[in-house]
Amino acid sequence: MNLSASIRGVGYRFTSVTEVLAKANPPKSGDDLAGISARDAVERVAARAVLADITLAELRAHPVVPHEIDELSRMVESTLDEGAYSAVKHLSVGQFREWLLEPSTTGPTLRALAPGLTPEMVAAACKLMSNLDLMTVGAKCEVVVRANNTLGLPGRLSSRLQPNHPTDDIDGILYTTREGLSYGCGDAVIGVNPATDTPESTAQILTRLHDVRVRNNIPTQHCVLSHVTVQMKALDLGCPMDLMFQSLSGSQKGNKAFGISIALIDEAHAKMKAMTSNRGPNFMYFETGQGSALSSDAHHGADQVTLEARCYGFARRYKPFLVNTVVGFIGPEYLEDGPQITRAGLEDHFMGKLMGLPMGCDACFTYHARMSQDELECLKVLLGAAGCTYLMSLPVGDDIMLNYQSTSFHDIPSVRRLLGKRPTPEFDAWLNEMGIMDGLKPGERFGDPSVLK
Amino acid sequence: MILDRIVPRILSVRRLPGADPALLTAYGADPARHFALGLVTVDQDDSTYVALDEATKHAPVDVVFAKSFYAGSSHASGALSGEILGVIAGADMADVDAGLQALIRCLEHDACFYTANDAGTITVFPHVIASLGRYLSAQAGLQVGDPMAYLVAPPMEHTIGLDAALKAASVRAAKIFPPPTETNFAAAWLSGDLPECQAAAEAYAAAVVDVGRKAWDIDR
Amino acid sequence: MSFTRALMENLRVKLGAMDPLPPPPPLPEVPFPPSRVFPTPRRRSAYAEAAARHTTALVGIGHVGTRYATDVVLQFQAELAVAHAAVGTELPEDWAEKNGLLPLHSRVTSHRQFLLRPDLGRRLDEASLARLNEKARKGVDIQPILADGLSAVACMGAGLALLAHFTRECEARGWSVGTPMCARYARVWLEDEVGQTVNAKVAAILLGERPGLGTGDGLSAYLVYRPRIGCSDGDRNMMSNIHARGAPPEQAARRLAVLAGAMLDQKTSGVPLNLAGLDLGDAGGGGYRAPEPRVRLVYAGDAQDKNTKERA
Repeated sequence: MNLSASIRGVGYRFTSVTEVLAKANPPKSGDDLAGISARDAVERVAARAVLADITLAELRAHPVVPHEIDELSRMVESTLDEGAYSAVKHLSVGQFREWLLEPSTTGPTLRALAPGLTPEMVAAACKLMSNLDLMTVGAKCEVVVRANNTLGLPGRLSSRLQPNHPTDDIDGILYTTREGLSYGCGDAVIGVNPATDTPESTAQILTRLHDVRVRNNIPTQHCVLSHVTVQMKALDLGCPMDLMFQSLSGSQKGNKAFGISIALIDEAHAKMKAMTSNRGPNFMYFETGQGSALSSDAHHGADQVTLEARCYGFARRYKPFLVNTVVGFIGPEYLEDGPQITRAGLEDHFMGKLMGLPMGCDACFTYHARMSQDELECLKVLLGAAGCTYLMSLPVGDDIMLNYQSTSFHDIPSVRRLLGKRPTPEFDAWLNEMGIMDGLKPGERFGDPSVLK
Repeated sequence: MILDRIVPRILSVRRLPGADPALLTAYGADPARHFALGLVTVDQDDSTYVALDEATKHAPVDVVFAKSFYAGSSHASGALSGEILGVIAGADMADVDAGLQALIRCLEHDACFYTANDAGTITVFPHVIASLGRYLSAQAGLQVGDPMAYLVAPPMEHTIGLDAALKAASVRAAKIFPPPTETNFAAAWLSGDLPECQAAAEAYAAAVVDVGRKAWDIDR
Repeated sequence: MSFTRALMENLRVKLGAMDPLPPPPPLPEVPFPPSRVFPTPRRRSAYAEAAARHTTALVGIGHVGTRYATDVVLQFQAELAVAHAAVGTELPEDWAEKNGLLPLHSRVTSHRQFLLRPDLGRRLDEASLARLNEKARKGVDIQPILADGLSAVACMGAGLALLAHFTRECEARGWSVGTPMCARYARVWLEDEVGQTVNAKVAAILLGERPGLGTGDGLSAYLVYRPRIGCSDGDRNMMSNIHARGAPPEQAARRLAVLAGAMLDQKTSGVPLNLAGLDLGDAGGGGYRAPEPRVRLVYAGDAQDKNTKERA
């Protein structure tokens, strides 16, 4: 395998696939923090030239975390779809990029290929792509999943309603929920990040949200994003749970820091399969985000884009209903500013979709990152145009518990109208029946939370 | 845009060698001469009648069956039904294949409906056949090799258009099909020299477009 | 091309399909524009009033089409500006000395580097280490460290009061308290190196927390028993939301002293520390921000005008 290239007569030599992958990455403050990024723009292109010539078979043979020390690497290797893989294994990453962009490579083809790709292959292609490349391929991928409604159909844009509250005041959560529903938000999930991570509190919030859903006959799902072990105990308390949540990391060590392993998620998945209150067949919900492995010193010298793709390699094992990348939440030491957060959002959507996941994005920033509100609004439109399955939605985009800025209740109908997108068919029908929407236009009861019981 | 082509979609093509005699008889074939059948369904009936006739010019086949379906292809009984089933029959499969090839070529490159208004919600079939085959000549009571204008439009448009066509050229009506046909259109076959048939078809299409642009000609 | 197709192509040109496009339809008259109410404060909707008793989320705010009304936009932008200003404000170089505190400095050399390199913000630069060795009292029970963290505004605001109250609470319990000091460009883990250098039993760093929308003056406190380089988050206990509208400094200082006392008693901190039966309030737990009423930030006209309006 060739690991060297020259640009204007200057030679560049790299020592490993992991190094090539890292240095081929567009600038990210997190890779700088890890000390693994290219030293300048020219070295970055040299790394991309080397990467363009590496074959997918060679990438499979060189996962960024060795099999010997990482169960994720072993699981990806042992569960890879050999048939799908053999169709593309001979391609170099450069050829793979071009094949992905060909109009004759259609959504169904990509869906069939997904189980034959390792995270490293997907991350490698990502590094050779511009933002518009990422959107072009991302928009082709169709990943359709079903719970109480049907997510990911073409021409649809869904949203998670996120009614977080700093003290889990259930009335406060419900006021925010009704407000969000009246703006047409919440068809992906009504999902609460709890302030208190206990089974009793999780069960209480789930039960009350379920009541609202049933009373108003809303075709959607609900979820409380506590730790997976807490949710398993909540299930034992006998509460309705449509989706089960967990944050994932891209290495075994990173997942250990999250208090999870493949065996634990397998167990949670099996329990949920038996006990979920949704009609299925998809019922898991995962969140990821570039930089999470480095923050627990579990990156093994790999870059944050490749590690993010490895989260998707983990997630696809469970055929989840929702996956989203929380793209700007981690802070400027991993994604410094607007351009980096924008890039990361489009990268993660592309990689997740290519791996067959119903990919959503929490397009967001913390107040110490250098991103403006206008830049964030642009990212939401870009994601919508790229076919992103769903965005978040909060009152004025402000999470009063987690202290960051995301998508607002008002942004969802705005982006939908701009791009001619609708919510899931079941939710769309419900919104029209309630008078909240009139097709793509605001209906008579739009923004009027009293329409909900 | 007006007069955009609406190219017919061929929905199914099946070959049936050695069909059962009972079937042959029921579909109008002669079990003594016809051993092989070629069947097509298409989403435009009139284009297909023209194409079936075309087949008889290129192969020793007979059009034994051709029927339009009620209310047309937007009310089809299934995804493959369209608005017509056409059947050609011959002595062996090679003849039927040659006929099918000519039929498909005609549907892809010649006979088609056209839009008669910008929205494409009114359509017209102002087709000129330079030289009739054995099928349509028999249907129209004309000779093989005669020219013919084959004109189809919705009822109001057709009635105004037919009058314009008959007045614009030296043609005579071989057959007039007042509304409704099976597909709720109306049609006419006009006979005359080729340039006269052309002039008639042109006047017909122009009148249909005019009705589309001006549905009312009195003040309300 | 087929016979009929050529015929129709010609007819299409004859019927004017290639003519220049007709002129666009005439523009309508501009309707009388609806009047918006800014700067008069809008009356809150009944839903907003009811919700405000349970949540600080901005709900019941209405809409213009699918977007915000102007006064909502301005309120939002003002809250965002307050948060950004808090992050962007730097602690002046001489602020510590002017306030009688031993000045310390992390290895960070610029504000941008402070945001991007948390590792450098966790270690002292050479001069600070020397100053600490030379001037600070050693072998103390408690070493408090005031620091800027992610909001110098908070540090300069309630920081001194919190430090003074906490010191008083500790001394009242008979513990020895280290030299008062203030660190610039500091992250939480800086307390490990400081505490280790002065050989403190408990280190307590009091620093500005990550601002939220409309708030930039909150402080957090992180306590660790037997501080040493290499401690992790699991070794620490924290309390957030220390400011006038949350936990005021005096009350927070008392709770932090209770927490420190537990560490001294049990000789441990973080996950193993047993907090049962302690009067801690929010301290020691996950540390969430309690609901605090949102205040209207934007009024047109001068400040007097604002008061008139509030009375009216």
